[in-house]
Amino acid sequence: MTIRDEVRQAVTAVASAPPAAPGSAVRGTTSDLTIDEMLLLHSAGWEPVDFVYGISWWSVPWGAWQWTTGEVQEASSAFAGAAAQAAKQLRESCERAGGSGVLGVEVGVRVSSHHIAIELSGTAVRRTRADEHRFEFVSDLSARDFVLLDRAGWRPLGLAAGASFVIAPRRTAREWASQQGQNAELPNLTQALYLARERAMERMQRSGATMKADGIVAVKLREGRASSSVRVIQFVAIGTGVHLPTGSHRSVAPEMVVPLDELARQFDLKSLRGASPG
Amino acid sequence: MAATGADKLPEAATRRLTEGAWTSGLSVADFASCLEMGMQPVGYVQGYAVMQWSWFMTTGALSMGGGGLGGFGGGWGSPQQRRGQYLEQWQCPHGFVSSEHRMYGANYELTWLEESWATGWGLATGRMIDEAKALGATGVVGVVDTMHPLVSGSTVEFRSSGTAVKVADAPHPSTPFSTYLSGQRLAKLIEAGFAPVSVVATLSAVRMLGYCITHYQLAGTNVGNWYGAAAGGVSGVGPIDQVNRAEAAARRLARERVREQLASDILHGATLERSEREIGEGDLSIQCVLKGTRVRRFKDFDPLPDAAPVVRLT
Repeated sequence: MTIRDEVRQAVTAVASAPPAAPGSAVRGTTSDLTIDEMLLLHSAGWEPVDFVYGISWWSVPWGAWQWTTGEVQEASSAFAGAAAQAAKQLRESCERAGGSGVLGVEVGVRVSSHHIAIELSGTAVRRTRADEHRFEFVSDLSARDFVLLDRAGWRPLGLAAGASFVIAPRRTAREWASQQGQNAELPNLTQALYLARERAMERMQRSGATMKADGIVAVKLREGRASSSVRVIQFVAIGTGVHLPTGSHRSVAPEMVVPLDELARQFDLKSLRGASPG
Repeated sequence: MAATGADKLPEAATRRLTEGAWTSGLSVADFASCLEMGMQPVGYVQGYAVMQWSWFMTTGALSMGGGGLGGFGGGWGSPQQRRGQYLEQWQCPHGFVSSEHRMYGANYELTWLEESWATGWGLATGRMIDEAKALGATGVVGVVDTMHPLVSGSTVEFRSSGTAVKVADAPHPSTPFSTYLSGQRLAKLIEAGFAPVSVVATLSAVRMLGYCITHYQLAGTNVGNWYGAAAGGVSGVGPIDQVNRAEAAARRLARERVREQLASDILHGATLERSEREIGEGDLSIQCVLKGTRVRRFKDFDPLPDAAPVVRLT
C-alpha cells in the first residue's frame, strides 16, 4: 500500500466512522510526544498513556536573603521541598493514568524573593505487552535517549536534583580600593559560585544515591544571579538517575555515517517501512 | 461578524477563493511532502476574530463578592454556566477581624474568561474551516494559531491559518480535517495509523484570592511570628498550599476540557502553555492553554524495526 492509499484510507475513516460517544468506557489519551518519538517508543515496546504534571510552590520567608553571607538555607530547603512535592505529584498522576513511567519531563524552575516554584510535565508511558503496570521511573530524557539507554541495558530511575543559593560576602574596603580600575578576579563572587556549585552537585548526587542510582546522566546546570542583588548566586543541577540492573553495559556499536544530503531534502517515506511512496 | 458557514463568507473572500492562482502557507519541503501524499494545496485559508478582553472582573481583593462571583460561572443560573466548576475556600485560623487581615480565601474558575477565549479561538478556527469548505477542501494542514493584543491590551486578536488541501478520490468530509502538522511529520502520522481529525485547544483559568496564610507566605512575612505559629506549621519554609491547589486545578481543568472534545480519540503533540497574572499581593490569576491535534487510529501498524544507532559525521 502506498502513502497515497493510506491518506485516502485515513480520510475515509474520519469521514465515515464516528468516534466512540463521549462518556463511553474508551478513554482518549493525551501525549506531548512527537510522532517520531511515539514510533520509536512503540518499537521498543512502550506506548504513551497521558500527559501528566506536577507543580509545587514553597515559601521563602522575608529576611532570608538579608543580613547574611554564605548559603541561604531557607531557599535551598524550599527548592528541595518543592522538587520533591512536584515529583510526587507527577508520579501519582502517572499511576492514576495507568503508566509505568514518565518521559521527556520538562523542568521549570522559578525563583523569586518569597517563593520557589518547580513545575514538571511530561508524558506517562507504559509497556505495550504487560498486564500490570507498576511504577518504574521519572526521567527528563527524550524518547530517543530513553530507547538508546534501554538498548544499552540501563534503566532510568528518577529525577535527581540539587540546588544551592549563596550570598557572596562584600569586599573589604582594602580589597575594593585595590581593585578599582583593575581587570581582576572578584574572589568573593568566584568563591560563592564554587560554594553553590559544590552544595548543589553534592545534593544532586545524594538524591541519586537515595534512589539507588549508579549514576546521573544528562545533567543540566543553571547558574548565575538569583535575584535583584548581584551578590546572590544560584546553582541548580538536575539530571536523570540511572541504574544498570544486569551489572554489565551492552555496547550499542553505533555505525558511523556521513550524510550527503541537505536537511531540507530529507523527506523519505522509505525510512518508515522500506516501501516506496509510489 | 457572526459565525459562520461556508455560504456566509465575505464577498471579497468568495471572489478571492474562486479566482486566480491557488495559495499555500507551506514551506517548499512541506509542499513537496503534501504532493507526495496526494494532497493538492488549494488555498491558504485564514480566520480571524477580535474579542474585547476585559480584566475588570479580576481586579480588587473584594471582587469575590461582586465581579468575582460574576466571573465564577458567568452569572448564577446563566445558560453559559458549566458543569463541574471549580471552587475551594479557605478560612483564617486566627479568629480576629481586621481590614488588613484576610479572613477568607478562595480559588475559583474564571469561566467567563475561559468562555471568551473559547469563543475567540472557536470563531477564528471556524472561519478558517469555512474558507476551506468553500474551496471544497478535504482538510487543512500546517495550522498556526496565535492570540495577541490588537490596538490595546483589552482588545485581543485570535488568528488561525493553514493550507487547505484536496485529496483526490477521497470521500468529501462534511467538515474538513485540520492539523497542526504538515509535511514529513503528517506523513509519518498517517503511516503510523493515525488519521488527523481536528485541531483542539482549550484555556483554563483559575483565580487565587489568598487568605491570610497564603498572603503571608507570598509576601514572605510568615517568619516564626505569632500569627505564623498560630496557623500551625506554616511559618518559615513550606508549601503554599492554596497556590499549589490553584496550579493543579488549572492543569486538571485544561486536560478535562480537552478530553471532553476527544471522546475516544488521541491528543497528539500536546503543548501546555502556562501564564500568570499577579492582580495584587496574594491575588493571582493562573491560565493554562492546552492544544494539539486530535487524531484517530484507523489501522494497526507494524512497529518499526529496531532503529540502527548511528553517529553522524557532520
